[in-house]
Amino acid sequence: MISSFFASVGEKILNFSKIIGGIVYLFYQIILALLPPKFDLDEFWRNLYKMGVKSVPIIILTAFFTGGIMVIQASVFVKKFGATSLVGWGAGYSVFREVGPILLGLMFSGRVGSNNTAELGTMVVTEQIDGLKALAIDPFRYLIVPRVLAMIIMLFLLTIIGNVVAISGAALFGKYIAGVSYAGFWTSFSQNLYLGDLIHGLIKAAIFGFIVSLNSCYFGISVKGGAVGVGKAVNNSVVASALGIVIFDYILTYNIT
Amino acid sequence: MIKQISTNIFATIGDKTINIFVAAKTLFLVTLNTFRGVFHFKSREKGEILKQAYEIGNRSFLFVSVTLSALGMVLVFQVCLQINKITGDQSQVGPEFIKGMIHAFVPILTAMMLATRVGAGIAAEIGSMKVTEQIDALRMSGVDPIDYLIVPRFIASIFMTFILGIYAALLVILAGAFMAHHSFGVNYNVFFVFDKVTWGDLIIGSTKLLVHGSAIPVVSGYCGLTTKVGSEGVGTATTRAVINSSLAVIILDFIISAIGLMTIQ
Repeated sequence: MISSFFASVGEKILNFSKIIGGIVYLFYQIILALLPPKFDLDEFWRNLYKMGVKSVPIIILTAFFTGGIMVIQASVFVKKFGATSLVGWGAGYSVFREVGPILLGLMFSGRVGSNNTAELGTMVVTEQIDGLKALAIDPFRYLIVPRVLAMIIMLFLLTIIGNVVAISGAALFGKYIAGVSYAGFWTSFSQNLYLGDLIHGLIKAAIFGFIVSLNSCYFGISVKGGAVGVGKAVNNSVVASALGIVIFDYILTYNIT
Repeated sequence: MIKQISTNIFATIGDKTINIFVAAKTLFLVTLNTFRGVFHFKSREKGEILKQAYEIGNRSFLFVSVTLSALGMVLVFQVCLQINKITGDQSQVGPEFIKGMIHAFVPILTAMMLATRVGAGIAAEIGSMKVTEQIDALRMSGVDPIDYLIVPRFIASIFMTFILGIYAALLVILAGAFMAHHSFGVNYNVFFVFDKVTWGDLIIGSTKLLVHGSAIPVVSGYCGLTTKVGSEGVGTATTRAVINSSLAVIILDFIISAIGLMTIQ
């Protein structure tokens, strides 16, 4: 009983260390491949389109409703204190610094990260990566590095779009739910927010993009066991990305203020 | 040339519209059959609900604890930082934070985390069964896959999301109080004031948890059941499950918040 308990704890710790080690090793390989930066530009360009442009609708939808949810929370105060001058600031501050990067990062991890894991995993299962190696093509420079760079750039850019949409959504719902005029929303928004708030969130977004890309590539290339294994890998990858996003959000909030 | 392009555009739009309608219809039927299946007691395996509850609840415990406590601390940190800049009066942080957590943030964040973990898990499992033709085998032996696979997960998810949500709310409030005390010197007595929490907040928070908890297994079960056969199928189905259940949570949260604001708050 006791020995089996220790065995299961030990096994979990070993598995966890294996994953962390694998991700760190992947990080090291990526750095090596970037010194000097030599990677497949076509693949990079294709991934920018596939990961960024094709995610725009889902990001817009998420951001629009997020803005709505934020303004509803703010309008609880409006009803109580009549504090219409706080709505724009409240919605903007929470969207820029926290809610925007986190929710968009989670959606990005769900759409792009898990898609990437599924794609790389399928390539592993159907032995396409071995095929690349047999043709003397470095899978890191050809597959991994373009994806990592594309995800960092695209989550950064998508967060900018998402912020704009969320604020517009907040202004729209603010007018119809909380009864705050556009002008009032804008005054409150523009007088109380600084560029620092926006940059704080954007730095977070770029780092979240990096976390999602590392996680999804690691779980993708370490797939074992056919189509079922791909499903499991996708599952593990989204969980690990969500965990990474939240933990790094905590660390980053402290360190960039 | 132009004629060809314009035909293509209409073909694409029509194709997408038809796809959306077919998907909506299938999702509606899955939802309907799930609700109906709750009352089909005989076609359920004994102990299946408890097994799923363990899978959904207990195994998400650590994940929810880590993510939600970190988020709680971050939110308090940001709020206190801003208040320090403007007024410096931090006596209202605790009560307002507790209120906001209960009716807004805890339900949506817990549900998003569960949509990621549980939704992906359900889709991966059911998708694997579909690819290995186990679902067809179930149908052939006269068992409805919705009754057998989705309904136990549905019931288990409603219960466990609710319980995890309550646990998460307590945890977030404790983590927030800890952060406010250590970084900004807010007294625990000033922070733990529950006067601001009304019955309306509790009702909205629990409604959200129940609705999100029922949406996640239905949406991801639907994605699992519609998996396409092939080595890419399961991965794609899992991806769709994460995205669709997260989106469902966000949209439902918005609708319930809006209704709540107009009626009881």
